[in-house]
Amino acid sequence: MKRILFYFWLFASTTLLFLIVNSALAHEESFKAMGVVPPRNEMPAPDFTLQTSNGNSVSLSNFKGKAVLLNFWATWCVPCKKELPSMQKLYDAVKHDGVEVVAISIDRDKKDRIHQYIKNYNLTFPVLLDPGQKVRKDYFIMGLPTSYLIGADGKLKGFISGAREWNSAASKKMFSTLVQ
Amino acid sequence: MFLFRFIFSSILFVLIITTNAAAYIGLCCAHCGGNMPLNIMGGGIPETHEYRFKISEMFMTMDGLRDGTDEKSTSDLGPSTASGKFRGVPKSMDSYMTMLGGAYSFTDNFAGMIMGGYVRNTMEMTTTAGDYDMFSQGLTDTKLMGKYRLYHDDNLAPTKQLSAVAGVAVPTGKITIKNTNHPTKTMRGKLLPFGMQPGSGTWDPIFGLTYQKAADPFWMGANFMTTQRWGTNDQDYKKGSEYTLDLYVMRQFNEKALASFQLNGKAWGDYSDQPKAGKENGDCHAMLNPTRDWMTPLCDPTNYGGVNLHATMGMQFQPVPLHVAELNLSIPLYQNLKGPQMQSDYMLRLTYYLEVPTKKSRRYKGFSAPKQLGF
Repeated sequence: MKRILFYFWLFASTTLLFLIVNSALAHEESFKAMGVVPPRNEMPAPDFTLQTSNGNSVSLSNFKGKAVLLNFWATWCVPCKKELPSMQKLYDAVKHDGVEVVAISIDRDKKDRIHQYIKNYNLTFPVLLDPGQKVRKDYFIMGLPTSYLIGADGKLKGFISGAREWNSAASKKMFSTLVQ
Repeated sequence: MFLFRFIFSSILFVLIITTNAAAYIGLCCAHCGGNMPLNIMGGGIPETHEYRFKISEMFMTMDGLRDGTDEKSTSDLGPSTASGKFRGVPKSMDSYMTMLGGAYSFTDNFAGMIMGGYVRNTMEMTTTAGDYDMFSQGLTDTKLMGKYRLYHDDNLAPTKQLSAVAGVAVPTGKITIKNTNHPTKTMRGKLLPFGMQPGSGTWDPIFGLTYQKAADPFWMGANFMTTQRWGTNDQDYKKGSEYTLDLYVMRQFNEKALASFQLNGKAWGDYSDQPKAGKENGDCHAMLNPTRDWMTPLCDPTNYGGVNLHATMGMQFQPVPLHVAELNLSIPLYQNLKGPQMQSDYMLRLTYYLEVPTKKSRRYKGFSAPKQLGF
């Protein structure tokens, strides 16, 4: 009986270990495929409260319990504008799976133009305004576009410099591993 | 033939550089908001660890004469052998200049630049021996400059920037081009007047200061530049020092297009003396005699220099990332010339600008993740 129990636990532990390693590898692979830099120490994402172009206040803490794609962009940044439609497609695909997309515009005084972009690109995810550059500085943004991945626990899980195809299979796989 | 070789070698050089470069363009970085019209010297600083190349074709025409702020007619000055008149008088001048420039940004704040050109001048002359076109062509002086950003309020999207420029103009342009087609045979092989020589013959220090402001969709700024002429050349004279002040405003009216307006002020001095060939052989003097009057007002070193103000209208297009084209038209608003000398009519300039990211560029490798946030 003891031997059977030993083999059962050995099998269960090996299976569990395999699943964990497999999941970690899949996570690592999907991060690598999207060019995501993982953190050395997972730190809480700096909280913020910003307004949308309609004047509504939104805080990062509103999305606690969800994985968040936090994107920094500007209307003068051509690569940023190119990736906005793919972010919308990603949002449409994963918004019911515990993933939130939040874009922060760092334009200094472009409320009307940002509003126009939201209309033109049919963006339904929150687009926040950071005209004072405070949040941009808290997130050490030196180039655009820059994105962060934030886990459901509110901690930073990844850094992405440059534009990405957010609606790709690799991206969706990455978010599926992020919400696990 | 030389011009063809000059352009071909330059294009080959650019191609070699670009072959080793990597054009990853999915990122905006340190110089966003630093737009400047491309015709202004020092305009267009590349991103850090990137090259940029600029090729411009400029056409400038001068028509008629001016002394101070008063226009002069050709017949006021000659052509005549009478005392107080000149045997040859210029009527108009066309200049075509091909300019090539390259720059590399070593850091966010420091860029090195090189600029050179090739000029073709044709001056329509009326002389006592008949009308003819005086012609010269050759390399211009080459400018080597460094631009250092002294101040900026934001590295990513600066609204204010102040930069200093220092450099030197290397005397690659000739100062001894001779007349080849004068109607009088004895005048052929004689030194052409100052204005027809493409070079200065001296190593000249360059200093400048640039202030740039961005208030999207506007960019504006002021650029002051001076070329000092401290030494004399092999012909024992020096060109006058030059001072330019450019004020510009640009408006982005489309994602891919900008319109610009500039006021370009320039003050420059006259020549210090006549060339050695004039003193020794009588080049540019009546009857080729050094003691006689000048052949044309172009030969008198004091008939150069003055102050002018031009207005420049321009359009800049960026049809695809990394490629920019600009067209400018300049017309004179005010000219006060130490004369009599030829007055400016208008100037057209077409510029093509190519950005070349290298493998060290942030646009290729992206930005580093911040350590402060655990990366």
